[in-house]
Parts: sequence; C-alpha cells; structure tokens
Amino acid sequence: MTKKENNLVVLSSDEEYCGGRSSSSKRRYRKTKSQSPLPRKSTRQAKKARLLGSRSCLHKDSRNVDEFNLFCEDFDQVFSTFKVSAGSGGMCRNELWIDKYKPHSLEELAVHKKKVDEVKVWFEDRLRTPKDANGNNVLVITGPSGVGKSATVHVIASHLGAKLCEWDTPTPVIWQEHLHNLSLGIQYTSKLDEFENFIGRMRKYGVIPSCFPNDSKQPIILLIDELPLTNGKAALKRLQNCLHLYVQSTQVPTAIVITDCGKVERTDLTVQYLEEIQLCLENAGACKVAFNPITNNSIKKIISRICCQEQYSLAVEQIDAIAKSSGGDVRHAIMSLQLFCLKPSQICSSSSSALESSKENEEVPPTVVDDRFSFQFGRDESLSLFHALGKFLHNKRHTSNELVLDGEFSVKENLSRRPLNMDPPEKVLSQAHGQARPIADFLHENVIDFMNEEAVDDAWVVASYLGDADTLLSSYERMLARHNDAENILHLAAASVAVRGVLFGNSHPLSSRWHAIRRPKLWQIEGSSLLNKREMVKQRFIAYGGISLADFSVVATEYIPALKWLGSSASGDRENLPVLSDENTDFDLVNSGNGESHTSDEEIEDW
Amino acid sequence: MLWVDKYRPKTLDQITVHEDVAQNLKKLVTEQDCPHLLFFGPSGSGKKTLVMALIRQMFGASAEKVKVENKTWKVDAGTRNVEIELTTISSTNHVELTPSDAGFQDRYIVQEIIKDMAKNRPIDSKGKRGHKVLVLNDVDKLSREAQHSLRRTMEKYSSYCRLILCCNSSSRVTEAIRSRCLNVRINGPTDDEIVKVLEFIGKKEGLQLPSGFASRIAEKSNRSLRRAILSFETCRVQQYPFVSNQAIPPMDWEEYISEIASDIMKEQSPKRLYQVRGKLYELLVNCIPPEIILKRLLYELLKKLDAELKHEVCHWAAYYEHRMRLGQKSIFHIEAFVAKFMSIYKSFLISTFG
Repeated sequence: MTKKENNLVVLSSDEEYCGGRSSSSKRRYRKTKSQSPLPRKSTRQAKKARLLGSRSCLHKDSRNVDEFNLFCEDFDQVFSTFKVSAGSGGMCRNELWIDKYKPHSLEELAVHKKKVDEVKVWFEDRLRTPKDANGNNVLVITGPSGVGKSATVHVIASHLGAKLCEWDTPTPVIWQEHLHNLSLGIQYTSKLDEFENFIGRMRKYGVIPSCFPNDSKQPIILLIDELPLTNGKAALKRLQNCLHLYVQSTQVPTAIVITDCGKVERTDLTVQYLEEIQLCLENAGACKVAFNPITNNSIKKIISRICCQEQYSLAVEQIDAIAKSSGGDVRHAIMSLQLFCLKPSQICSSSSSALESSKENEEVPPTVVDDRFSFQFGRDESLSLFHALGKFLHNKRHTSNELVLDGEFSVKENLSRRPLNMDPPEKVLSQAHGQARPIADFLHENVIDFMNEEAVDDAWVVASYLGDADTLLSSYERMLARHNDAENILHLAAASVAVRGVLFGNSHPLSSRWHAIRRPKLWQIEGSSLLNKREMVKQRFIAYGGISLADFSVVATEYIPALKWLGSSASGDRENLPVLSDENTDFDLVNSGNGESHTSDEEIEDW
Repeated sequence: MLWVDKYRPKTLDQITVHEDVAQNLKKLVTEQDCPHLLFFGPSGSGKKTLVMALIRQMFGASAEKVKVENKTWKVDAGTRNVEIELTTISSTNHVELTPSDAGFQDRYIVQEIIKDMAKNRPIDSKGKRGHKVLVLNDVDKLSREAQHSLRRTMEKYSSYCRLILCCNSSSRVTEAIRSRCLNVRINGPTDDEIVKVLEFIGKKEGLQLPSGFASRIAEKSNRSLRRAILSFETCRVQQYPFVSNQAIPPMDWEEYISEIASDIMKEQSPKRLYQVRGKLYELLVNCIPPEIILKRLLYELLKKLDAELKHEVCHWAAYYEHRMRLGQKSIFHIEAFVAKFMSIYKSFLISTFG
C-alpha cells in the first residue's frame, strides 16, 4: 500500500529535501515499510519539532536528535519507494486508482442504472440486427466530464462481447515537432483532416476485418471519444457535413462521446460550436443520451468501496467532503481520494502548519476535517453570471444582526447593514468569472427593479457607486498600454466597488420575488449611437459650406434639429444629406447580430 | 445652403460682429509674421468664421480649395504601432483637424501630423519657404498628455508652421499652451448685434421683419449667432409672412430635456428614475453630447426649483459633470445626478409639506 502511494506524491519540497540530505547519511536507518502509515501523533510532534528545530538548531541537542530521527523516517519512506519502483518498474504499482478501479461490470458503474440500461438496450438492438435498414446507428452521449461516459461504453461493449474500436483524438503537433517533420518531408495534416479521412473510411468500408484477424465474427462497436476541435465557421461546417453523412450512412454502431462544458462558459465560441454539432447530429437521426453528474451517494459508495479494497479507513466526514467537493465527477473524486490516502497526516498538517507553529501543543483531532480540506481538493465551483447577478440583486441578508462589533469601532445606524447571507461578493464574482464592465452594466440595468418604491436615497447611493466603478474602469482603459498588473487590480477593484456598492446601497430591497434579468440596454444604445455618430460625421461638412470642419456637438445639437425643422426644403438644396434616423431608432437593427442576445431573456428565480 | 453658411462673411473686411478683432488680425497678418493663435469663446460667437477669413487673408482664394481626407496615421508608440483614423480638411497651405476625435490617442495625432507637415513645406512664388497653418479644433477637449506634447511640438516646429487653436473655454487649455499663443477672446455677440445680422439677412432675402421679431429670436438664441440664424430660417419655413408673436420653434432635444425635468419634479422614485433613464438613452442615441444634456437638465431644473436648494443642486451637478469626464459611460453619472436630485428634492418636499 504505502509503496504505491509514494509513487504518486507530488513530492513536497520538504520531502525532497529530506531525501537528499539523508541519502548522504549512509542509509543506516531501517524501518520496516509496513510501519509507514505512522501513528499520527508522533509525526505530528516530530513535525513540530522540526519546525521549531529549524529555527533554533543549535539550541538543544535532544531536539537535534529528534529532528534527525524524523529526517530518517521521512527518508525511509521515500527511499523505500525509490527502491521498489526501481526494482519492479513494470508492475502495477504505477497504476492510478482511476485505472485500477475502472469499472469492469455493469454493476460497478456509478452511472445511474436507467442511463446504463438505455445505452445497453440501444447497443443490443443494433447488434442483434446489424444491417438495420433505418440507418440509425449513432448514439450521442453527452454529459459533464468525469461522469463515466466512456467507461459506460467500454463496460457495455465488454458485457456484450463486442470489439470496441476507438477513435482517440490525436495528440496535437507542437511547433518543434512540426519543424522536425518538415525536414523529414512529412506533411502536416490537420486533425480535422485526419478525422474526416477516418470517418470517410469508416462510412464506406466499415471496420476492416483484417484489423482483427483472430475473430472476425465478433461484433464491432465504434467509439468516438471527443470530436476534434474546430476553429472557425468553415471548419465547423466541414465537421458537421462529415458527421451528418456518417450518421446517415454508417453500418457500424457508433457512440460519440461529447463533453458538456456546462452553461457557464456559454460565451465561449467552441462551446457554441459543440452545441451546434450536437444539434446537427440529432437532426441527422442520431439518438442522444445525456448523462447527469453523479450523485453524492454513488460517489460515496465508490469511495468507500475503494477504501475497503485498499484497506484504508476514512472517516465518514472525509468521504463526505471528498464526494461533495468533486461536484459529481467520479474521476476527480477518486483522484482526490488517492491523494488524500497518500499520507493523510502530511496533507492536513501542511494546511495548518502555519497555525500550529504558533500554537503550542494543540492537537487537531485527526478526524475533524477542516474547511480548507475541500478547498485543496475540490473542483472550483462555478456559477453562471446570472446566478451571481441574482445573488447581488436580491441582496439576501441574515435576519438577525450577528455581526458583533468591538466597542471601539461602531458604525452609525444608517450605515450599518446586516451581514450578507452569501459568500463574500468577490468570491462569487470569481466563481462567475465576472468581468467588471459587464457586471457593472448588468447591475446598472437591473438594480432599479429590485429597489423599494420609496427608496430614492438608495437609488442615489447605488448610482453613485456604479459611477465610481465606471471611473475606475475608465482609468483602467487609459493605462491599458502600460501596466498589466495594475490593470488587473483595477479591474477587480472596480467589480468589487460595483457589487458592494449595490449590496450596500440597496438597503431596502424588495422582498424576494420572481424577476427577469434584462440585458443592458446600454449596449444597444451605444451601438446605435455609434452608428448615428458615423452618419453625423459625414454630415459635418454641411456647416461652413464644406470648407471647414464643424464641431461635432454643434452638428448634433444645432444643425441636425434645424434641418429636421427645415425638412425637405433644405435637403432639397443639398441632396446628399441623409436625414438622420429619428429618435425612435429601431434598436434591434443595430444589435440583432450580437451573439449574446439570447441571454437577454434568461430569467432567474430567486435564490 | 443654409443661411448660416450662405451669409457667412468670407473675408476679414466683411466681418461685422467682431469688427475690431478682425481689423487687428488683418493688420497683424499683413504687417508681420503671425504668431500662434488661440481663439476661445462660446459656441456660435464666430471663432471659426474669423479663422477662415484669416486664412483667406493669408493665402488668398486658394485657401478655399480644400479636399477632405480620411487619413490613417501609423504611429510608432514605443512598444507597438498605433493606427489612428482621422478626417482632415486641407488646402495647399493649411490643414484643419479635430484631434480629440482620436479619443485617448490624441497625443499621437498632434505630434505626428505636425512632423508630417514640417516635412513637406510649401514653397511660395518667391522661392521662399512659407509657413503652413494648422488649425486645431476643440483644443480644450484634448487630454493632458496631448496638450503637453502639443506644447513641445509648438516649440520644436515653430519655424515651419503656425498653429491656430480653437476652443470654447480657455480654462481647460494648459497655461503652457496659452502663454505660447496670442490669445484672442471672442465674446458671444450681443442681442443688438444679432438683431443687426438678422435684419441684414432679412433684407438680402427680401423678407418683411415685423418689429420686435428679430429681437425675440436674438433673446432666445442665448447669444449664439448661429443659433439665431438657424432658428430664423426655421421660422421662415414654418410661417411666412412673419407675425411678431410667432412661436420660435425650440430644438427638439431641448424640449425633450425640459420634459425630463418636469418628469423628475413630478415624482421621485426608482421607477421614475428608470423612465428617465429611457429618455436619456434616446438623447444619447441621437448623439447629443452628455455634458450638454447634463447642463441643460440642470438649467431646466433650476428654473423650477426653490431658491434654497439651488446651491446644493448646482454643487452636485458640477460634481457629476466632473465624474463624467473621468469616467466613460456618461449615463451612469447623469443618472447618479438625477437620483441625487430626486433624493434632495424629496426630502425637501417632506420637510416643507410634511
């Protein structure tokens, strides 16, 4: 057990150091390997001793001895690992638990039973009547990463006794490699080309039996794991065409696995492309099965099973925490489990060593999982922008004033607010990947809806803070060319000011109810205003008989209105005066092409 | 052609409103080399008219043969190359441009264009190298950096070219630039002067002007000659023959702002603020500069306001006008002003009427 774990450790500098040091000390120390999951207490103390010791090395002899012992313990573990891994390199010790505990039977799959059945039945149907006339031989499996999409296909294939033939995304060619290839005369082919070729072959000839000479009667399943990335509309079109053709004509039962990236990064183009491809596949007649994130309970089951097999006993809380932080991603859960099982003592202590070094002799009971645990292992939670905005706008606060302030620092009645019933705004912002500018715009557009009818003062405070944020952001733009770091800080500061301003200012929020969040109208306004401005720049030459530039604002405020009054008689004089679009400019004209327009109607419920 | 342009004086001799200034300039140009000039004064007072007449005085009729160019300047700004597009009007002897159009990249424009001009100086008939004249509009809207670089270029290239700067307010032009120029203040024309001009135009167009009509237009024009002539012409289109109490059509955006102002006075609530925002958007779409919106809005609000609030409201207007210049999205700041006004006014109403 312990041999294995050490192989995977991202060696902490600590350990490396010890290893290096003690290797020079003649390898005298011989502790049995079996002892290495050390009694927690001793490591703990030893560790502390070392911390102290390193500060005051010459100070006590006994300490030094202690320290040395500790070095050697550490070393021993490391050393044993080295020896083992060197001695029996090819053995299964290098195995990751994800590989080791890959599901081999349908029962072991963590995926919901219904989903598995769905997929299984589908494949069974295809394999029973292989030359099905309906041509519907493609199954699209979607779902977030690490929920066992590919694993399901693998397991089912082996369950049905079918040969699984896989398309794996080829590794990208890096530039140096490309140069090297060029000198050898090997042409570069784009990954998309390769994929197209492959698909073309599969479509025309099916899987060539000669690939599997031993058993040609075995049914074949094709698994396409991840489609190639497309860049740009043209490539997307090609991929769509080729997939479309494939879906309609293939004879081989095929599973296409597509990973959802979640709704958060919807603005990302590649995500949009993926969605389009999915749609295209479905239109072509492919079946679709969507996998959901795996439930906490199934993950917990798997974790305890692995623990059982690895003979580790983890506390229920620890299992809980791992399951929770994985966010429905089994792969991730197992990996964090493996990391956690390496040396629970070390991980915990490293996270709290700073604390401990100050607090003498105070032991943290090993079963208690501190909060930071989830931080270390968890996938970062992400929020959608709308979710975050909803939090800010609804402005939920605790009902009782829990925040007890020290006597010396008291806030005036009208300035104090009850504590927020949410994570710190900055954290929420970072989870939502909020950019300062759009956040400010969205808040500006929507915050008024969330204000009390009477609260004009609040409106002023909020508007003023948003103005502050705007000021910060504009200085950001001026510095753009110069300082990269300053820019980031300013950006963060501006977002924080905007959000906290809204939270603070809206001191009488409406009781929560259902609201729609609008897309900032400001964006449309800016667009059409720019358009009008361009029109107007052309009209500049109406003034001064064309021999001088008129001031822009003069044109806008005086000439244009006058020309409107004068109407046809004036424009008859100079035919080339296009009359500026009226006040009721059709905003939609300007921004209809904007990619984000579909988010405008997104509605949020209150949280 | 609009009357404003049709009856614009072409030469210094024709100028009637600022006759003394015009004569002085004429003397200056004919007798000796002309220094850099800085014209400042309110809009519609005749700065540009003077400048154009002056250029004509310097170079003769050739100054009117201009071409409009949309030039792209490639500027090497140290770490990267900047491309700036700008419209210029130029004749053989002068170039006119509005550097503030380039936004925050304005500082490159000034340097680059002057360098460019210095390279190809015109040679006059006697084989002597002449001066080129560079007319810069809206100097007060230039950023600090641009003004600074302008100062440097003025010194460096003063033997090649003469600058004529135009702006509304000299207070936003740095001291350094002001001291390097001959400052010419152009006052807004008085009502009497405006009336004289309007009567002159009326005579030329063969119109009957009822007594008092011209002076009413002049009064409404806020001492802007351009404004007066434009509204004179609109009146002519609306109703002729003139009646002495004929309504003078206001600018549509001004009317709109006064509507906003009465909205604000009627109700003070976040909901109303939202409606006001919608109306402000419409003004912005039509490219009314936000500073002018804010100023006009303040003017309209002050008209209806109790005297004791005026000071505070003005203070906040000035405050948010400043913020607006620092910031980018003017609507945020205008709205903040409106909200502040609502808040002040509401508490005033509550305290007076309970």
